Amino acid sequence: MSTVTTGSLESRLRLRLLPRRRELPALAGGNRAALFSALWPVALVTAILVVLPLLATHGVQEVVAAGPFRKPSLNYPLGTDDIGRDVFSRVLYGMRESWLSALAVIAFGSALGALIGALAGALGGWVDMVLMRITDLFLALPATVIAIALIAATGPSLIHTLIALSVVWWPWYARIVRAEVRALAARPHADAARLAGVSRSRLILRHLLPGAIAPVVVTMSLDVGNLILALAGLSFIGLGAPPPSPELGAMSSQGLEYLLAYGWVPIAPAVAIAVLALMANLIGDRANRRLDQRTT
Amino acid sequence: MSTLALDVDDLHLTFPARGGDVHALRGASLKIEAGEIVGLVGESGSGKSVLGLAALGLLPKGTKPRATGKVLLGGEDMLTADESSSRARRGSYITAVFQDPMGSLNPSMRIGAQLAEAAGRSVAPAKDQLATMLAATGIADPEVKLRCYPHELSGGLRQRVMIAMALARDPRLVVADEPTTALDVTVQAKVLDLLAGAARERGTALLLVTHDLGVAARICDRIAVAYAGRIVETGTKSQILIAPRHPYTTGLLASRPRLDGAVAGGELPTLEGQPPDPRRPASGCAFKVRCPVADSACDQPPPVQIIGGRRCECHRPGSLAGWPAASSAAHAETGRLVAELARHQGDRVSVPDPALVLANIRREYPRPKRHPFAAAPEPLTAVNGVSLTIRQGGSLAIVGESGSGKTTLLRMAVGLLEPTEGTVTVGPGAGPQLIFQDAGASLTPWLPIGRQIAERLEALGVARGERAGRVLATLRAVGLPAEAAGALPRQLSGGMRQRAAIARAIAVPPALLACDEPVSALDVSLASQVLNLLCELRRKLGIALLFVTHDLAVARAVADEVAVMSNGEIVEHGPTAEVFADPAHGYTRELLAAVPEVAAAA
Repeated sequence: MSTVTTGSLESRLRLRLLPRRRELPALAGGNRAALFSALWPVALVTAILVVLPLLATHGVQEVVAAGPFRKPSLNYPLGTDDIGRDVFSRVLYGMRESWLSALAVIAFGSALGALIGALAGALGGWVDMVLMRITDLFLALPATVIAIALIAATGPSLIHTLIALSVVWWPWYARIVRAEVRALAARPHADAARLAGVSRSRLILRHLLPGAIAPVVVTMSLDVGNLILALAGLSFIGLGAPPPSPELGAMSSQGLEYLLAYGWVPIAPAVAIAVLALMANLIGDRANRRLDQRTT
Repeated sequence: MSTLALDVDDLHLTFPARGGDVHALRGASLKIEAGEIVGLVGESGSGKSVLGLAALGLLPKGTKPRATGKVLLGGEDMLTADESSSRARRGSYITAVFQDPMGSLNPSMRIGAQLAEAAGRSVAPAKDQLATMLAATGIADPEVKLRCYPHELSGGLRQRVMIAMALARDPRLVVADEPTTALDVTVQAKVLDLLAGAARERGTALLLVTHDLGVAARICDRIAVAYAGRIVETGTKSQILIAPRHPYTTGLLASRPRLDGAVAGGELPTLEGQPPDPRRPASGCAFKVRCPVADSACDQPPPVQIIGGRRCECHRPGSLAGWPAASSAAHAETGRLVAELARHQGDRVSVPDPALVLANIRREYPRPKRHPFAAAPEPLTAVNGVSLTIRQGGSLAIVGESGSGKTTLLRMAVGLLEPTEGTVTVGPGAGPQLIFQDAGASLTPWLPIGRQIAERLEALGVARGERAGRVLATLRAVGLPAEAAGALPRQLSGGMRQRAAIARAIAVPPALLACDEPVSALDVSLASQVLNLLCELRRKLGIALLFVTHDLAVARAVADEVAVMSNGEIVEHGPTAEVFADPAHGYTRELLAAVPEVAAAA
């Protein structure tokens, strides 16, 4: 109930009956509490990672006075690397970048995937056929090859890596949304809405798509970990931002030759990747449990 | 040692739950003699199924139920028995037949292997022994069926297999929980007779748990009536059916549509109200709020009265001669509100056009080719050349079994499906509406009821400012509180959901209201309320009804014309009274004979 306490029951109900202009159709109804409970950890971790670089003691590119290959110490908690940059500071920036990159790919992938999946699932027929074959086509493209091609054509950059990943990532969302929307479209409530004279766009937005939120959110949250690993993998083989930038995969690979002598240089970023992926998976599992319970 | 097959004494069962413990049973007592067939009848939530599960020692462990009382199976208490001994009892002493045979059979095992497993002897029984067991349940070609997988058998055959498995070890007691609810009406009658026959032949006692008094009346020796976690009345079949002593039993009997009832009257007596919430059990008599003869004494727990083997828990047993007719205050109130709704929407233009004309419609479904170069196989014909007319404000019931094409016909009538041939013409005014069997599934789960009704008003061009008022008027007319407008479907009970679906359909009265088994998922007391409401809406708003049902008694209660459908064709069509009095087609006679009737059994 809204916070209006005066006025007749009728006027209070009026508030709830009439569509609120700015309401996201996808969040209409009783999904919100479960969604919030599933997703607040993502927001929390994102917020922490965004402010984390405030703890950095040095700049990303700054060569410290102490020189290269310093052992971890109070001043340089994770030591310094081959050209004397503070590993701790670089890892903090790298974690932020990895996390936000993963979220960006997911946001893009789920938005495009939801659009295509909803259209295919709700309209069916040849639209479904064409959209899903296109989806299959993109699914067949190898991310690595696209990234190499893009980088060969335009030079290495983080954006190109993200584009390459997004291109192969959205089809999964399209498939999930399509399957869900198709199943919902065959349910009596979709028939009832059609008989009530609801327009096609509203049918999709209000009667079909909200049903796909839970599975999509579960997939999204489980995907964060996958994407962090995929991004780190691409940057490890040199398909990421060009060298000076603090990218965890690239840092790890550049430091690899010092593994035996100055282990902290490659290991610190690798551990950071592991921590991020683990955290993401824990959050994803939690979201999965929360939203699954609700739908049964 | 007694001869009792089952002795349940003062059984209390409580399931701890968030938001309050669920008191499923509150002192239920039930005795079953050896070889006796007892029907346990009650509405959903009355605790009848839980009682059956308790007897089987199959209470869901995860829910950590708290139980007191006794559940004696041949002297052993199933409540205190450990897992291994209660498992030993199951199979040899007590077995079960559940509603959904597909869920109870292993889909990856042949019937023969499952039956052998159920027989449970150390040496697997020979093929011909297994075949004899199947044959005893009336299965033709038992040798062939032994090699089948469950999905290769029809629902009726699967349930027969379940019965054969339940009887395989000659148990002393079989618990059958809604064994025929999922079956077609003619199959239902056969399976019930078979179950009863097999039990009697072996001297096995049978506890038949069902929501349908008619089903119990068909085969039982004694009937026990469950209400709010207690057995409120027990007696022989004829005692219960002819001279019920508990007012609840009287109400249950009265609210059942009958084959000899009024045609299209919509004047079924109704049990108003709902059973108490099992989280908040009432003090005193649980039925007092719905009881027409309740007085102040009923605030105390009712005394148990036992006369000549007849048990009744009531302060005023036998004081209610007949349930008051529906033209009570509540009924008049509904009528007034519907009339108000009609006024609100202006007088409907009365034109001579019929509400629906189906002209020789046919619907085919293509069958998949066996391989890409094969010739296209014959399509499946679901509806084959049906012509029907419903006049404005008329009411036609289509009866038939599953697979007869009645739902396909209905979907074509409302425009959800295109006929392959023929034309569908609907009357002027708002487009036809459909009430679904599963009201919960027909409402969008995440949209409040009021929004869903308002959407239809919006689609028909009702001004924004008027919508809220119209929504509330419609809700009142179908007997829902105004608060329902803000509720999500899952926050309402089954009966309320069906009313909400009806509200959406009549918010702007359509020329034609099609109903697909609208009450088959509802308890008797709710079903009669919904049927009355539909008749009332028809009378006051001039809506024509097209009613699909498998239940002839329901058809009689709402329709002035009946069309009997079989294999996609209409085999008989005529005024309800005539078709019932003098069925011309053999299939109609078969359907009529299969209806579980209380009057015939008593």
